[in-house]
Amino acid sequence: MASAHIMAYRRVVNFLPRGQSFLLSQWIYNFPQQHKVISRTTGFCEHTKAQRALHTSAPLTVKLLSVEEIFAKKSLQEYLKKLEMEYSECVQAVSGGVSEEQCSEDELRSKRTKVSLLAPLIQSIRELDTKQKEMVETETLLKDEDPALRELAGIERESCSQDIEDLRQKILHLLIPEEEADLSDLVLEVTAGVGGQEAMLFTAEVFDMYQGFAQHHGWSFDTLEHMTSEIGGLRHASASISGPESYKRMKFEGGVHRVQRVPKTEKQGRMHTSTMTVAVLPQPTEISFTIHTKDLRIETKRASGAGGQHVNTTDSAVRIVHLPTGVVAECQQERSQLKNREKAMKALRAKLYSMKLEEETSRRYNQRKVQIGTRGRSEKIRTYNFPQDRITDHRIGMTVHDVKSFLLGEELLEEMNSSLQEFSNQETLMELLQDSSRDGS
Amino acid sequence: GTIQYVIWRCHSVRGYGAPALPAGRITALQAVEFWKRHFAERGVSEPDQSSQYIIAHLLGAKTIESLEPQKLTEFLSREQTEQVWKLCTQRLSRVPVQYVIEEWDFRDLTLKMKPPVFIPRPETEELVDLVLTDLQTRPGLGVEPDTRRTCLEVGCGSGAISLSLLKSLPQLEAVAVDQSQDAVDLTRENAFRLGLQDRLQIHQIDIMKEAVWSVCGLVSAVVSNPPYLFSEDMASLEPEIFRFEDHAALDGGEDGLVVIRQILTLAPQILLNHGRVYLEVDPRHPPLVQRWVEVNVGGLQYVETRHDISGRPRFCILQKEESNKSDKLDLE
Repeated sequence: MASAHIMAYRRVVNFLPRGQSFLLSQWIYNFPQQHKVISRTTGFCEHTKAQRALHTSAPLTVKLLSVEEIFAKKSLQEYLKKLEMEYSECVQAVSGGVSEEQCSEDELRSKRTKVSLLAPLIQSIRELDTKQKEMVETETLLKDEDPALRELAGIERESCSQDIEDLRQKILHLLIPEEEADLSDLVLEVTAGVGGQEAMLFTAEVFDMYQGFAQHHGWSFDTLEHMTSEIGGLRHASASISGPESYKRMKFEGGVHRVQRVPKTEKQGRMHTSTMTVAVLPQPTEISFTIHTKDLRIETKRASGAGGQHVNTTDSAVRIVHLPTGVVAECQQERSQLKNREKAMKALRAKLYSMKLEEETSRRYNQRKVQIGTRGRSEKIRTYNFPQDRITDHRIGMTVHDVKSFLLGEELLEEMNSSLQEFSNQETLMELLQDSSRDGS
Repeated sequence: GTIQYVIWRCHSVRGYGAPALPAGRITALQAVEFWKRHFAERGVSEPDQSSQYIIAHLLGAKTIESLEPQKLTEFLSREQTEQVWKLCTQRLSRVPVQYVIEEWDFRDLTLKMKPPVFIPRPETEELVDLVLTDLQTRPGLGVEPDTRRTCLEVGCGSGAISLSLLKSLPQLEAVAVDQSQDAVDLTRENAFRLGLQDRLQIHQIDIMKEAVWSVCGLVSAVVSNPPYLFSEDMASLEPEIFRFEDHAALDGGEDGLVVIRQILTLAPQILLNHGRVYLEVDPRHPPLVQRWVEVNVGGLQYVETRHDISGRPRFCILQKEESNKSDKLDLE
């Protein structure tokens, strides 16, 4: 925990030379247990999105605000007031303050739900109010003539300001709506891009990096597809990753990753720039997304000829084609054909589901100025520069050093990933406030 | 340069059976490439897979794809190289890969494989799926819910079907029989390896000659992947099958139905009422089985034919329907 904070501090100082506070960066570390609560708050946030990614329109203008700066915003204060009013109204209606003729059974039910959804947030807002009043009182005591009392007040003020800090973070956290897919597992796809063998070698390294990242988080990592090149590189691979918050974290990794270095294969010592693409697809549950068997064509080595006892083949690869869309998934990772079929099916489901989500998202957002939800698959998001031993994320203009450690998928990737998460949270919050004040006026 | 040369050299040594060991060190990937080409030249079927599976196995992985990429580009030790040469040389004489590496996967089990015991085919994984779904969705079967259900497997081979069922259904007990002592021994070995021996009885019995009810009481299901090849098809089998696998596990007689008819004749005597028979058969069989049962076996209804994933009619399901009096009296 402590080291995480120090790292967060170093990092923020790194890309905020004007010395803004790093408090916001602690959101994630401080409130992991709030996770479940957030997911329930989605109901009252009308702006819940099926899919969200960082905007990439103007990467270098993004800056990370401190909790204090956010709370100083008028729009936030107004928004909190609005929610409090809404809550009081609902409480009144539910507790019988409004006669039955005025309120239908359905309305009552929805108000009851709203009360329970808003309760934790309102509770925190009220606690914050109380603490802030205490703070004012303590500050008057600081001017007291009795030095012992002044000392006590000093201690009191410290604990009070810590409480205020914590409550503010908690409130902000409760305000961020959960994405529909945040709770799901995912399928990771890596594909070599420009740069031939070198791109394939880099693709293999990135695939390993995410395997390390999964291990670092205690997630399971199960390779589904794995197509190697001659010299140990990867043309394409996919893996099923599952575990707490796996999609929520991994979603920021989707996009084009660029490597700059002198390839092992390069004889003249020239530097090359190559690319690979990462796609992060949420894995739907069986219930939330069905595929009809009649829409599938399953291809195996055994499809021709008599099959059964007539044939003994060790080629257990399976390829599944989804006929209506032409989407294909294949697996040859296992010796059991049935296992390969299950894995190919998993990859196929994720592909189809993400297509569906993308379609829904673009339908919902294509009128908006800020384009959201393309998941930046074609966008260059990060550069791994070996000669300068640095990794730069172009979306937030953040740079960390030590490429080798970064590729282990441990602390350094975690650090980058957390920053992306923080920026994304802030963006979401700002959008929420903007939309709210627009609705209000 | 030198490595390439070495490989090229041992590659050119031919006609003496096995190729000579390489003089210098080679990587796993180079070994895979070398044996792939060598198998292809010598007309060994599935040269790519053979070379990959054998070498992956020696490096401790199931498939080359699941091996860490850097392992492929590392040099093999002298011992590893010798092992690769030894096992791949076996494959040159068409020994099935599954016998060469002495194991194979069936659903989520890894089973020991040993000649001449029949190597399970992927279609049978689907047979197990079908039985599992059925046993899970038809809970009654005329038995009290808390009684343990038993299933009988005829021709268990390596034990693939029974062990998969036992693995997936913790309440199930199974009786597995085979006419071959090798098969019975291998099933037992696999059962012990998987820790499933307590719920499995294994007997060496030839159901064509001996009474199967002497080893089991009434059962909820009879499952079998019996020998179902037509005798005339035996000669056209690949050498891997014809020369190494037990013919008794493959040859089903002139019409491929000899053992199947015996199982169907016995079924009404060993099944509980509403109990079912699940068979894997040749795609030509289902209509023949249905007609034959209708004419020859009382108390057994043909339920349906199911297809394998390649769309071939592959599985027959039949069900026992008690004809008024019969079995209860027989029992007493």
